[in-house]
Amino acid sequence: MALPLPPGLTPPEIAFLCEMELVTIIPRQRLEALELLGGPLKPLVPPQRASVPLWHALLLKRQRRANIVPPPWLSPEPLTAILDHETKYGDTFSPPPRLPPAPSSNTLPFAPPFLPSSTADAAADALPYHWLELGEMLLEAAADDFEDSDSVRKLLRGLREVRMAKLRQGVEVLDAAGGFEMTGVGGMELGEARAFITGVIDGLRKIAASREQQKRDRDREERENGYSGTADYDDDEMEMQ
Amino acid sequence: MAFPQQLRGKQAHVDGPTFLTYTPDGKKLITTGVDPFCRVFSHGSDEEPTNVDDCQENNTAVAAGNDFFITGSEDGTVSKYSLESNRFEEILVRSTLPVRDVALSPDGNWVAVASDELVVYVVNTKDMLQVKRLRDQNRSVKHVSFDRTGTRLAVSCTDGIVYIYDMELEEPEMIKKVESMIKILEPESGLSSKVLWHPDGRAFAAPTGLREMQVMSTNDWEQQRSFKTGHSADITAAAWSPNGALLATTSSDLCLSLWDVKTQKLLKKYDDIKATIQAIAWHPTENTLSYTQIDGRLYIHNDFVPPEHANILQKPIQPAPFFHDPSEGRSNAATTALANGTKYNLPERRQREDTVDSLDSLLGPEFQDDEQDEEMADFVVDDDGAGYAPAVNGHGKRTNGHLGPLESLSKRRSYTSAIFKPQLHEPFQPGATPWRGNRRLLCCSLIGYVSTISQEGDHHTVEVKFYDEYTHRNFHFTDIYLYDKAGLNDHGTLFSCQPKDGNPARIYYRPHETWTTRTDWRTDLPAGESVAAIALSESYVVVTTSTNYVRIFSLFGLPVRVYRQKSSPAVTCAAWRDYVLTVGNGPVGGDGTAQLLYTIENVKRDEVYQSEDIVALPPNTNLTSVFFSADGDPYIYDSDGVLLTLLHWRTNGQARWVPMLDTKCLSRRLGGGKEESYWPVCVARDANDKHVFHCMILKGSEKYPTNPPPMLSEFPLEVPLSSSIDKAREREREEDKETMSDDEDGSSRKAENQQQMLENQYVLLSTLHSQLSETLSHTRPTLDQKRDLVNKEVEIDKTLLQLLNFECAAVAEDRGMKALELVTLMKDTNGKMLEFALKVAERYRKEVLMEKIRDLQEKKLMGGEDDGDFV
Repeated sequence: MALPLPPGLTPPEIAFLCEMELVTIIPRQRLEALELLGGPLKPLVPPQRASVPLWHALLLKRQRRANIVPPPWLSPEPLTAILDHETKYGDTFSPPPRLPPAPSSNTLPFAPPFLPSSTADAAADALPYHWLELGEMLLEAAADDFEDSDSVRKLLRGLREVRMAKLRQGVEVLDAAGGFEMTGVGGMELGEARAFITGVIDGLRKIAASREQQKRDRDREERENGYSGTADYDDDEMEMQ
Repeated sequence: MAFPQQLRGKQAHVDGPTFLTYTPDGKKLITTGVDPFCRVFSHGSDEEPTNVDDCQENNTAVAAGNDFFITGSEDGTVSKYSLESNRFEEILVRSTLPVRDVALSPDGNWVAVASDELVVYVVNTKDMLQVKRLRDQNRSVKHVSFDRTGTRLAVSCTDGIVYIYDMELEEPEMIKKVESMIKILEPESGLSSKVLWHPDGRAFAAPTGLREMQVMSTNDWEQQRSFKTGHSADITAAAWSPNGALLATTSSDLCLSLWDVKTQKLLKKYDDIKATIQAIAWHPTENTLSYTQIDGRLYIHNDFVPPEHANILQKPIQPAPFFHDPSEGRSNAATTALANGTKYNLPERRQREDTVDSLDSLLGPEFQDDEQDEEMADFVVDDDGAGYAPAVNGHGKRTNGHLGPLESLSKRRSYTSAIFKPQLHEPFQPGATPWRGNRRLLCCSLIGYVSTISQEGDHHTVEVKFYDEYTHRNFHFTDIYLYDKAGLNDHGTLFSCQPKDGNPARIYYRPHETWTTRTDWRTDLPAGESVAAIALSESYVVVTTSTNYVRIFSLFGLPVRVYRQKSSPAVTCAAWRDYVLTVGNGPVGGDGTAQLLYTIENVKRDEVYQSEDIVALPPNTNLTSVFFSADGDPYIYDSDGVLLTLLHWRTNGQARWVPMLDTKCLSRRLGGGKEESYWPVCVARDANDKHVFHCMILKGSEKYPTNPPPMLSEFPLEVPLSSSIDKAREREREEDKETMSDDEDGSSRKAENQQQMLENQYVLLSTLHSQLSETLSHTRPTLDQKRDLVNKEVEIDKTLLQLLNFECAAVAEDRGMKALELVTLMKDTNGKMLEFALKVAERYRKEVLMEKIRDLQEKKLMGGEDDGDFV
């Protein structure tokens, strides 16, 4: 009894994961420190900026208790530059943000959800892992905090289409033993492409499998009959008839 | 004397739209219309006009220089004609679609062509191969208009947007898109959406859909006053008088109105027009207005301005009708600074009137000089603008126009100048902006901001907005006193207004909320005393005045102290709890500017900490803001974008200015190209207990924040040690390295970079530490503060340890001296830091260093706190 869900994560699940990303807000109300399961939240003192998880920021924004500061990469100029890069280089994606200097050996290695890649002091020149879903969510909930939300929306749309087209193109080389570099692909894009790519690979595998099966059957038969050369194959068939 | 003569139209062209222009010298008037010829009228003569034949038909625009003129036609050609030979010269542009307007730059070198094509061509009149193309508009263009300097071009598009281009560049760039001003018009309609640049160069006007003439300032693109024309149909033409003091408008309701620019009142309305006027032109010097009608007639209206107002036309260039003239200055104080190139007329010095029995009035007009010179006036024709035939003003004297503005722009005055006039720093209120349109910011702090909006009918609306909307409630009130300064903190708001109409200057304090009823109070200053700057702290109200008094009140309006400031005139003040900082102009330095001096005192203890000490500013730099940080340390921000703090300010003679942040070196400006400045608000701690500089980011060349102000930004403090360009190059190189190979060189550079960061952190931390320890030694420290001090010490030691690590990791052995120095610098409050240092040395097997550290440890244990022993 399998769950009727496609393999991998569904878009709501990816969005849920994205809500762990830290974003910068400017609170408009004091709030005491909170001790949460996910970790403590510092007290909010307006107009001091604070970094809080996206889910908390969205909650405060909806209640008009905070303004969200969009990350620097989510503004027209960097997005235009990235879009240019994407259209210029047809076969690779724009590189992901540079990792900070490797921490000393005794701490856990950093991974994207725990890196401040979407706060106000993040790098402006690269798209982080959760760029698409974060951008969509911020544009939906806090469009008034953007300087030029319309062009940001347009650029995000453009980026998404260019990159999806690349992903689909990549499938062409996914034949036997083919490879396709996916450095810099975001979470939502992976989730979207997963069904398609795995479907294609599965199909290819099936086609290959049936051929394989035939070949294996033939081999077995040959072994059972004790023949080794194909030269006598015709005779054998004749005999069967 | 001129008698009111019957205005007689001349049939210049056959029935149809007709246009006209004067040559810049006012000698000739050129008309063009449906017929295939243009007519050139000589000004002041009744002779038959000269016809210029072989023109195109259906001409739609004309522009003239002194010796040539240019017409545009519906068949798409723009032709140039000579005025000397009255002949066709050449075709400058051939457009595929009808030409709608042409405009000539003031120097006559460039002609802008508006046609039904989307592109505006700007062609050199001498060399038609030099073409600039303006392509930003989406629809066809109706009008084009150069400003008085020829550096900007306004393009009125049929999509209802005005595009302003900067023409100084090789490739003109659009600098502003003005939406919702002009009406959306059909390309062939006879209505006008033309932008009229005001002669003073700081504003332009354009007809709006509401049949008004809306004025817009060009420094901040804010709508200023408008002329409510009252025409019953849309405006078809309008023109400023040559000195900008009058405006003529006309519409298809057959009225021609004359407006006074200063009051925006109607002076005269001519309603006996026979047909719709298509174009208006003022004569460049005389009281004559000419217009052409849609039926092809030309009217030359001498004495257009009625005699009772004719003197307005004689005035020098008048300012455009602003709500609040920007030249009023930031603090509303009367200033003598002039806008660039504006001729200044003293308000109290009117046009000199005839005295009784003066020579002129006795002799009568026929003996006046200019009458005699009439024939000789044309002797020298200034046709290339070189200035050898200087303009003559109303008194028959040469103007001082060739001298430039009164104040020379360079700070250095010429030695030949007989009068030595020091340059004083003008008083300002920290955080206040000048008027921008009808709005202005009075004060901004970390609590919120105070802004004021001037309303019709001589009152303002003051708005107080808080960042923390739930602790405090936003409020606004109608303000009849016209408050122009404000202070805001956690407890209340302070306002002050200038003396006006016999009312003295007034201070108004309004607490936010108290446990009793709210006790706001007002105090009047003595008559004749105006407010230079005010400051509000948690316990006092400080007012510095024009008479150099510093008046200190308690929060309940009780005058606590009044004294005269030693350095004068007063510039500004700031306050925090019991501390008051006042800044005034001190002695004049070698470059003719006054040095700024500050005084800090504690009001409660009645103790002066720093008396008339110098505010350290590099030459040609102004003070932009003075404030106390949230921790109570004085900070200044200068016009170079450097933030400085005062270290050891509680000890007399020990104070010095330490740069804490140079905004030119900010990492966000590394890439270059980003033009922005910062409006300082405060220095406070952020969520991670680090000191940050709160400011508003001003985009482009803006100097003041808009209202409502942008969101506050935070920048960590960073003592300027290395220049940002260095860092940028470093980073670039690093990236190159990363992409190529991670070789030894790259990693060592990275280490160097990190070391620089640590050094920076060390300097910053030790500055903050000494500031904090000073504060603690002068106040009763709280537990938190003490803990903070210890934390800071540990932080410093940690930074030193990291630096030590780098030192030891360095391959060369001979750097042990520096490593030892780092160890000796450690505060080592808990005695563990030296242990750690020992461990680091052990790890890198630096035997000698270990020995030395052990020595140091022993010395510490012995309690030998040596203050620099002479060995």
